[in-house]
Amino acid sequence: MTTQHLAIPARRPSRAPRGRRALRRNLIGWLFLAPAVALVGVFTITPFAQAILLSFQSWDGVSPDTPWVGLDNYDFVASDPIFWASMRNVLFFGVVGFVVGNGVALGMALAVNSVTRGKTFFRTVFYLPGVLSVVVVGLLFSFILAPGSGILNRLLGLAGLGALQQNWLGDPAVALPAVAAVFVWFHWGFGFLLFLAGLQDVPKELYEAAELDGANRWSKFRYVTWPQLAPVTSIVSLLTLLAALQIFGTVQVLTNGGPGHHTMVPTLAIYNEAFVNWRYGSAAAMSVVFGGALVLLSVVQLAITRRRSRV
Amino acid sequence: MSSQMSTAPARRRMPLHKVGLYGLLGVAALIALFPLLWMVSGSLQSLTELLSNKSFLPADPQWHNYVTAWVQGELGVYLRNSVLYTGSAVIGILLVSSLAGYALARLDFAGKGVFTFVILAVMIIPAPAMFLAQYKLLISLNLTNNPVGYVLILITSGIPMSTLIMRSFFVSQPRALEEAAALDGAGPLRVFWNVILPLARPGLAAVAVIQGLGAWNEYLMALVLFEDNSLMPIQRGLTAFTSAETPQQQILLAATTISIVPVVIFYLMAQRHIVKGIGAGAIK
Repeated sequence: MTTQHLAIPARRPSRAPRGRRALRRNLIGWLFLAPAVALVGVFTITPFAQAILLSFQSWDGVSPDTPWVGLDNYDFVASDPIFWASMRNVLFFGVVGFVVGNGVALGMALAVNSVTRGKTFFRTVFYLPGVLSVVVVGLLFSFILAPGSGILNRLLGLAGLGALQQNWLGDPAVALPAVAAVFVWFHWGFGFLLFLAGLQDVPKELYEAAELDGANRWSKFRYVTWPQLAPVTSIVSLLTLLAALQIFGTVQVLTNGGPGHHTMVPTLAIYNEAFVNWRYGSAAAMSVVFGGALVLLSVVQLAITRRRSRV
Repeated sequence: MSSQMSTAPARRRMPLHKVGLYGLLGVAALIALFPLLWMVSGSLQSLTELLSNKSFLPADPQWHNYVTAWVQGELGVYLRNSVLYTGSAVIGILLVSSLAGYALARLDFAGKGVFTFVILAVMIIPAPAMFLAQYKLLISLNLTNNPVGYVLILITSGIPMSTLIMRSFFVSQPRALEEAAALDGAGPLRVFWNVILPLARPGLAAVAVIQGLGAWNEYLMALVLFEDNSLMPIQRGLTAFTSAETPQQQILLAATTISIVPVVIFYLMAQRHIVKGIGAGAIK
């Protein structure tokens, strides 16, 4: 993801290189780029275009025959309660990841940055969950949150908080927040690392100057740290939001969208529509709707960041 | 963490807010670590002990759980596949993205702006919008259930971010050496291979650790593409093990523990690079 580099360097050579030397120069450049262009062209751009075409077709995943069906798939998706439930759920994940995940990440970065001992230890431990896979996290928490034998309920009982025991993944009212909590546990270390690096880049003189002006801890945060962190905050926000919205494996392994469809998310809905229900056309329509929304979100965020950095 | 040290007489007493701060950090560290510690502990218990939840530490460590998990879960096959796929993907990404990054940073040619824009635009396309059509494409290329198809997808998904990291790395390097080599009459590919790449090690390391972690943990495409257990990488293998064999909980915990050993060792060893790489990947 990028913020700064969208501005394409306008470094056109003023004297247009001519003739064989220019040709040779162009050929060398294209040669260096050829592998990247070939791979991205074949395996990213082509499928992206194909997904759009497929959303107007009907395909069962096997037959070579993919008849055109116009907007049928979109009609189907528009009235598919599972898909829209998944969109609402993922919005919840997005909000929780954005507010709680980023809040914890920033708070912990501030805390680690202000202690002298154990910095490396805490940094190592806090990012550790981030190197695990979605499958490992999903399996692990499916045991931890199990209603009868799960260790979380057991600990709550031991702590005298038996009233808080829940069927974490089976109760429709609790499952969505429970999965969101697992996502936060899994993902906050990423924002934490970036915030911590950002904090270490804030020039010390700014704090010294603020202290001379008699600034207290809060105003130092409000008038030095926060504005200095702004670029990091905006990129962390976007990346956390995108990660939360694209959540798939964790949910599939943890609840498979259940109970009912109370933790269904769009990527899992797309996967099920295609590989469980054998309706690839409507799955493609879902991926165009959902993918389009994600692209729009990125473009808007990047545009805002660009305008802000230009002012 | 270090409250004992600061109560030493020679030092000032630790101010109250520092104690609170370390308390907070300690609690957060416990929350981050607890599920993993519980996993290791559970993997060494018998099923009755585990389900009764009597003790946190295994009374009588059942080391053979690991043997059972390894054999029953065919973890050796999955791990070997993962090492192979991750290694090939990382080598591919390093080659392709350092060539492209170098071209965008240093070479002058027609259409450079367009290429830069395309690389950026491609990064915005999310996996959920593509995985179906990638699957369809690989069917038509006869590359589903095939290591080559999977590795090509892994390489492609790593290219945009890695190219940008390499580009900004090359931009920050001095030009003197390559100019000297070019004056000596070396062609651009020779200069790249003999002069540029050896100097680009820090950039390459950052790309390698980030993309290596990503490839090792990839799940969605592995789920979609592989049917034969003998070809599956470890993440897909774990879910195959769970659903086909319905292993007992302590065996599955042992299998999960085995699956994270390589990545945790790698993380602890390459931590500095990982932190740097994540920063580079996000900000570039």
